[in-house]
This record gives sequence, structure tokens and C-alpha cells, in this order.
Amino acid sequence: MISSEQGLFGEFGGRYVPEILRPALCQLEDIYQQLRSDENFWQEYLQLTQEFSGRPTPLTPLPRLSESLGGAKIWLKREDLNHSGAHKINNVLGQALLVKRMGKQRIIAETGAGQHGLATAIIAARMGLQATIYMGSEDVERQYSNVFWMRQLGAEVVPVSHGSCTLKDALDEALRDWAASVDDTHYVLGTACGPAPFPELVTYFQRVISQEIRAQAKHQIGALPNAVVACVGGGSNALGAFCDFLDEPSVRLLGVEAGGRSQQPGQHSIRLQGDLASPGIAQGYKTLFLQNRDGQLGETHSIAAGLDYVGVSPVLADLVARGRVDATSATDSEVTHAFQLLMRYEGIIPALESSHALAGGFALAKKMQPHEHVVINLSGRGDKDIFNIAQALPQQEWLDFLKREVTRTEQRLRESANNPNREEQYVSNV
Amino acid sequence: MFPTSNESLKVMSHCVVGFPSLEENEHAIDGLVAAGIRLIELQVPFSDPVADGPVLVNACVKALARGGSFEATLALARKVSRRHPEVTFVLMSYLNPIYQYGIPAAIDEIANAGIEGIIVPDWPVEAMRPHLPHMEKRGVAPILMVTPNTASTRIAEIASASRGMLYVVSRMGVTGSSTHWGEEFQIYIARVKKHTNLPLAVGFGVRTREDLQALRGRVEVAAFCSQYIEWQAELGSERAAERMAQVVQSIHAA
Repeated sequence: MISSEQGLFGEFGGRYVPEILRPALCQLEDIYQQLRSDENFWQEYLQLTQEFSGRPTPLTPLPRLSESLGGAKIWLKREDLNHSGAHKINNVLGQALLVKRMGKQRIIAETGAGQHGLATAIIAARMGLQATIYMGSEDVERQYSNVFWMRQLGAEVVPVSHGSCTLKDALDEALRDWAASVDDTHYVLGTACGPAPFPELVTYFQRVISQEIRAQAKHQIGALPNAVVACVGGGSNALGAFCDFLDEPSVRLLGVEAGGRSQQPGQHSIRLQGDLASPGIAQGYKTLFLQNRDGQLGETHSIAAGLDYVGVSPVLADLVARGRVDATSATDSEVTHAFQLLMRYEGIIPALESSHALAGGFALAKKMQPHEHVVINLSGRGDKDIFNIAQALPQQEWLDFLKREVTRTEQRLRESANNPNREEQYVSNV
Repeated sequence: MFPTSNESLKVMSHCVVGFPSLEENEHAIDGLVAAGIRLIELQVPFSDPVADGPVLVNACVKALARGGSFEATLALARKVSRRHPEVTFVLMSYLNPIYQYGIPAAIDEIANAGIEGIIVPDWPVEAMRPHLPHMEKRGVAPILMVTPNTASTRIAEIASASRGMLYVVSRMGVTGSSTHWGEEFQIYIARVKKHTNLPLAVGFGVRTREDLQALRGRVEVAAFCSQYIEWQAELGSERAAERMAQVVQSIHAA
């Protein structure tokens, strides 16, 4: 389990925030440190994940795909089978227990792909809390199905339409909201980034993934896996999958970043490899940022909204710097190919974020021996990506369907305008 | 020169370097000086200004597209500090542009450009401390911030590291919204004054003449920034400066 020295991981991490946020972070740090050493709290957390989210998630072998690729045996850690469809719920459930202890009534969150926002909206509904979710306006368009669900769950979704209109701007906006509302609001940061104690705290809640992989691998494989692979946006699913193997040098740990369209500035989200990114201090912490010489954070791109982020967890930045974690990247087209392979061979629909891990994991498995085992963390399911996939693989049939759907929706809106009581009737029934 | 303690209220105003354009920054500053402003913040535009509200965020986005940068801020400072020696220029930046430049070199260049102080909202006192001797040597005053939720012991710590002025954030939140100056604010100011003799600059929510009246006699500096940038965006620099002249006169007239 990782733990920081004053919120620092090597040269990365720290707490570089406007003074107004400091007391809330100190309060969170105190509560986290108390609970971290409280085994009862961890048991309460595990019980909640089991009863509400369906843990443990399975470790699924991929026999047909493994045979087809001709290298190591491939296994998937099925975080996609969590309630809400992604690993994000692990962290949100944990932070919800913290909110309960702090007695706060409102939660805010930033979200890229919408999975963290969705998980936050779900827990707000479950606990009767008010929720506001900040989301880049570009991501709102890319992940509208999640926006729809968040609003149905009762959360306020605020599109952020300045800067690059993606995750980093949503994070800035959430920090601004928090600066004005710290007394009654908790910021449920969604990944292992941001000011201390968030990187460590989010990793703490996500480590349940690697705890389970470890136990399941021993049971199903009879040994630890030879490699664990995960995609890296902010880094929470990767750290969750890697955490319990950090002291096991026989287990190779591989993070896969978004290679996007190319390695030109603004066309990818590669921070952990080469010198595309450099150390910087922004958004409350020090890490590797894609930035220019003036320290302005750069534009990013990924086919997966959840990986489209300019910074990376300081914990991962340090682990890569120390050589414990390797990093690679997958381009948008490699990702789409991996996505199709998993569907066609194994009947599983992965998220585009997780498909980066698939692309990197498949490439690694091909180079390994048939007696070896690779576990790929399938961080989320692909339902939310249906529009993106349909755009990446354009088909006339899909276009025809959308046209019919627009016609039907217009018809329903006209009907409800003519008969407003129908809507009111529905709302009062709810 | 920074104001001294118990001096009458001074107005500090603002320039986002690159907004509306680098050329107009110079004229805008001339206008502010003509309006009687003697304290001006030069803001290095930043891609992720987390302590700023919508007005300054939007100004930063535009400024960056129009060539605003740390270097451009130094270049502007060199010109305007020579042209207006009676004015105290303060650099306002987030930490990353300074960090990328190299902190000691950045402090040297800030001093060389005729800038007398710096305000960096995301540079906490503990991270700034190793650089304080160099700032002292080069005559660059670190102007740190305290907020309503800052504990008294920490106010003392921040105040002891500050020079020139102590920036008092008037309320919880980001720049650009309104503030109430009631009893709670008075208690807060009294609490801050227990820990420092530095002149106090109050910012975040100073938008009207009434705000200035409320601050008169209580603190030495009022940061009248977001509202000025809003006027500048809506009316142009010339008319924004006219409004600032009325603001300054309203203090003297009262």
C-alpha cells in the first residue's frame, strides 16, 4: 500500500492550493489518517461495496482471444461489472463514508467520461445528498448518455465551456466551487490526482481491485500473474490494479496512455513516456503535465474522454520515475481494433478507456510465453460509448436509426407540448 | 512604495497581460495612472487559474491567445515601471509559469523589471519559505493571502513571511462576486490585525463605491480588479479608466 511523506511521492504531489482550500484539505487529511488505520472502517467499506456495487468483481479468462493471439494467457479483472459500470464507484463509496463522518450535505465532482459523475450522482441519490457535477462541454457532447442519467438521478450537471472544455477545466471549476462552499460541501475528486490527500486517498479506496486480483489469481491461476495492465487517464484504476503488487518485483506493471491521433501537441494524452510532458505545478499538485515552456497547460486528445487529461497521478509519475511501473500508449485506431477483438472473441463490450489497456495488454501478451498470465483491468463497460463507437465505425444503418429516433423524439415533444398534464402526472407519480 | 499602516484607503487595480491585447495593456495602464491609481497588479495569464472567477478566467483565455505570458509580463513591466515611477507594480501569477522559468531566475527578472511585489495564490507559505531570503535580497515583496477560514496561528505564520502588504481575502470563494461587510467582517479584520502591523489589502468582492466606503478607515488597500476588467471588456480601456477615476474620487469626496 502506498503512503506519502507529507503528501509527496518522490518529487511529485504536495498541496499547492489557494489558502481558502487548505482547512478543508487538512480536515480531510485528519479524517483519512484516522480511518486508514481503522480496520473496522475498511470492513464497513468492503461491506458497502459488496452490498451496493456487487464486489468482488470476477477475474475472467479469455481463452479464445488468448489462443488467437498466441502468447500469454489473458485474464480480465471485471471492474465493468460494478454498479454504475466502472471502477469509479469504489472511490465514490469510500468518500461517501467520509462525507457521512464529516456531516456535510452537498457533494461536488468533476468528470470526464461521466463515469465518476454518474457514480457520484448515484451515491448522492442513495444518501440523500445534493450533488453538482462539473463536466467539460466537449465531454458533455461525447458522453451524453451519462449526462442524461446523472440528471435523472437528481444531480445538477454544469457544462464548463471555457479553456479546452474537457476534464482539466471541469477540475478547475470544481475547485472554484469548493473554495466558495467548503463549509457544507465535500469535493469527491474522481482520480488519484489533485492536492494531498486526494492521490493517496483515492488509491486507498481503489486498492480493493488489486487485493481481489491477488486472491483470485492465486485461486484461479495458482500463482501471481506475470503482468498487470491498466489504462492511465488520471491513474485511479491503474493504481488500484497495481497497488498490492508494488512489492512483488516478479509482477510487471504496465500503464497504457492515450496515444490519440499522433504525438503532435494536442493530439494525444501521453505524460509518462519520453519528454512529451514535464514536471509542473497546477491544479493543486506537482506532477508531469503536458505544457508549454511558459507553464501553460496544453490541449489533449483521446478517443476516450476519460483519458483526455493533461496531468497524471503524482503516485504514478513517481512509480514510473523509479522504474517500478512501465508505460506505453495506444493510438485511437489501435484502441478501436482492440475493442472489436474483445467483442468478437469474448462477447464483452469494453469502455474505450479500458480498450487502451486491452490494446497494450494484447501487444504485451503476444510477446510472452503460453505458460505466463496477463491480467488486464477492464475498468469500465462500453455502453456509454455507443455514440462514439458508431462514429468511429460509421454505418448507414446507424445513421438511418438516428434519423428515425429524431423524428420520434420530435413527435413526442410536440405531443407533450399539446398535453402538458401528461408530464406533470408523471412527475407527481414519482 | 507600498502604503504604510493606517494610511487612508488606496485603490489597487489590475491588468491581465495580453487582455484585451498586449498593445492596449500599456494604454490601459496609462489610463489607470491618470485616474489616480498608484497600485497595479500585472496578472500573468494562466491556463488554469483556480482562484479566479469567470471574468478573470475569460480574460486569461483571451490573453493567452493574444500572446500573454510570463515573458510578456516582464516586458510590459519594464516599460510601465520606468514610465510611471510613482506607481507600485505587483506581479500576480499562478506558480507554474514562475516554476517553469526557474524560481530564482524569475525573482531576479521580476526585480529587474521594476516590480515590487508578487501575489501567487497557489504558492503556500511552506513551499515559498526557502525562496524568501532571495526575495528579500532582491526587494521583491511576497504578498501572501489570508482567508476567513485561516486559523489564527497560521495567520501569524503567513503574516510573518509577508512583506509590503498582507492580502486579506474578504470571503469564501473566487474573485469577482459581491461581499457583505458586516460585523463578521469587522471581527475578521480585527483578528488579522492582532497578528500583523502590515498594511492590509482587501480583495475578492470589491465592486462598488459602497464597498470602498465600507473599507475606508478599516484597511489600507482595496483591490478593485474583476469589476475593472469587466468594464474594460464591455466598455474599452478608456471608459473603464474614466470609471476608475470616479471610483478614486468617490473616496476623496466622501
